[in-house]
Amino acid sequence: MKTAAKMSVLAAAALGALILGIGVGSVFIPPADVSTILICKLFGLAMPEAIDPVYPALVFNMRLPRVLMAFLTGAGLSVSGTVMQSVLRNPLASPFGLGISAGAGLGAALVIVAGISSGLLGAFLMPTVSLCFGLATVILVVGFATRLDKNLSNTTIVLTGMVVSLFLNAIMSMLATLSPVNAQRINLWTLGSFAMKEWDQVAVLAPVTLICVLFFLRYAREMDVMTFGEEQAQAMGVSMKRMKWLLISAVAVLTGAATSFVGIIGFVDLIAPHVVRRFFGASHRRVIPAAALFGGTFMVLCDLAARTLTAPREIPIGSITALIGAPFFIYIYFSGRRRR
Amino acid sequence: MLEIENLSCGYDDHPVVHNISFSVNAGQRLCIMGPNGCGKTTLLRAVAGLLPYAGTVRVCGKDLKSISRREAARSIALMSQITSVYFSYTVYETVLLGRYAHTKGGAFSGTTEEDRRIALDCMARTGTLELKDRMITELSGGQLQRVFLARTFAQSPQIILLDEPTNHLDLKYQVELVEDLKAWTANENRCAVGVLHDVNLALDFADTILLLQDGRVQAFSPAESFDLAGLSEVYQMDVGGYMRRSLKRWE
Repeated sequence: MKTAAKMSVLAAAALGALILGIGVGSVFIPPADVSTILICKLFGLAMPEAIDPVYPALVFNMRLPRVLMAFLTGAGLSVSGTVMQSVLRNPLASPFGLGISAGAGLGAALVIVAGISSGLLGAFLMPTVSLCFGLATVILVVGFATRLDKNLSNTTIVLTGMVVSLFLNAIMSMLATLSPVNAQRINLWTLGSFAMKEWDQVAVLAPVTLICVLFFLRYAREMDVMTFGEEQAQAMGVSMKRMKWLLISAVAVLTGAATSFVGIIGFVDLIAPHVVRRFFGASHRRVIPAAALFGGTFMVLCDLAARTLTAPREIPIGSITALIGAPFFIYIYFSGRRRR
Repeated sequence: MLEIENLSCGYDDHPVVHNISFSVNAGQRLCIMGPNGCGKTTLLRAVAGLLPYAGTVRVCGKDLKSISRREAARSIALMSQITSVYFSYTVYETVLLGRYAHTKGGAFSGTTEEDRRIALDCMARTGTLELKDRMITELSGGQLQRVFLARTFAQSPQIILLDEPTNHLDLKYQVELVEDLKAWTANENRCAVGVLHDVNLALDFADTILLLQDGRVQAFSPAESFDLAGLSEVYQMDVGGYMRRSLKRWE
């Protein structure tokens, strides 16, 4: 199949997942109705009378922001994972390896334990603090790695990221143990959730995701060259140190923004790049948009499972991504291997 | 074409190469020889701009330190030993990436018609055209090395640096690689500098030999007047005797 055809299939699947995600819930809204409501709202048309008057509000105030947050988070994490694997030339690399999740987690835990609230930031207090902590951690990791190793080699980054993450996680566990009242909230935050997502959060995450994805597409060729190793890439004309700083900073912003709103959701950043490369090859011009579409679709479906499988109780989204993702990944990855 | 003056370099506080000067002219093929650890690869990496160094490296008349990496890559290319490949690019995509340093301007600009023509040309030249749509992750070591040679040619440099390019290659590919490089340097304004371990292959490839010992130049001479006695001294073994014994086996 041609790339354009494959990309269209992926885009259609994404649209299908969005409509399904909006339709399924405590009140089922048929896909046709969901589409009609979306089209009417998008083009400013009057709602047809056949549509239950409760539906539009349900779609717009409850379901759509949640589904969009899931899509944006999935897209952002998958693209970040793709970039990290190429920059560090390591198929097991992930943006969380830079300490973003550990930093963001600690920030959130501090807000929970200290019981701080801010009139100015309101509901944005926790995301803001955890984003700052996440970004500070990345700066710490990369800065420290640069001090240790002037060339900023991949192994140094991976090792420093791992050590700092473990250290911060230990502080977070201590906070949770010392404050048993808040332990459950901290624990839940680290497993991620799309519950209670509203438009003002979409309004922040959507532009950040779009800008970062475009930024990565701009450097697609540089990333292609970088996958052949640091020395080769430099000899082919890429200034590695500058490029690593640029790309890692953008990954930190994208992952940090998503994580600060929804908590830590693992696995999609690791598997999406592999699955997408299986079907689209390695070229970043194709892999980045495909990873965004695939990751977004995957996350919307996982969220659907998280809130419907044991309704009215929700399963933490982080558990679902791993539960569905692990067997799916093994199937895709190894079925491809056998065919070769 | 490539001028090296008083070059010293090493790793952290451990100097490896001491105060080396030499130059390579258009059409020349230089082979750097010497025992393990004498600084051959370190010297090559410094000349490629991958290692900090003291002294001067001039590439096509320009000081390497004064030009950007991209500009340098348009004049000088490095081909290393085969490294493992993790990402499944096609052979054509891989060779086309060699044109990276030549891509012009625009933020989202891709390859041009000329880039594609050059890439196909370099593939034909290295016998990799029939592998065009294969994944590089599926190739044998020999095929992969020829693809990397095509990519190096596609970079359209005037100087190619080679770090043990024949490692992992079988005899036929070794000879072919050397022939490809000789043909490449022969017709235009180009030169090559290689590190090769096999003495016979080195003499086949090079017209000039630079012999290193403990990071210093031991000899710099035309290949035809290259002295086996010097080699024996550097390697601390009877190289001539070993060669004669090897040859006797086939007589």
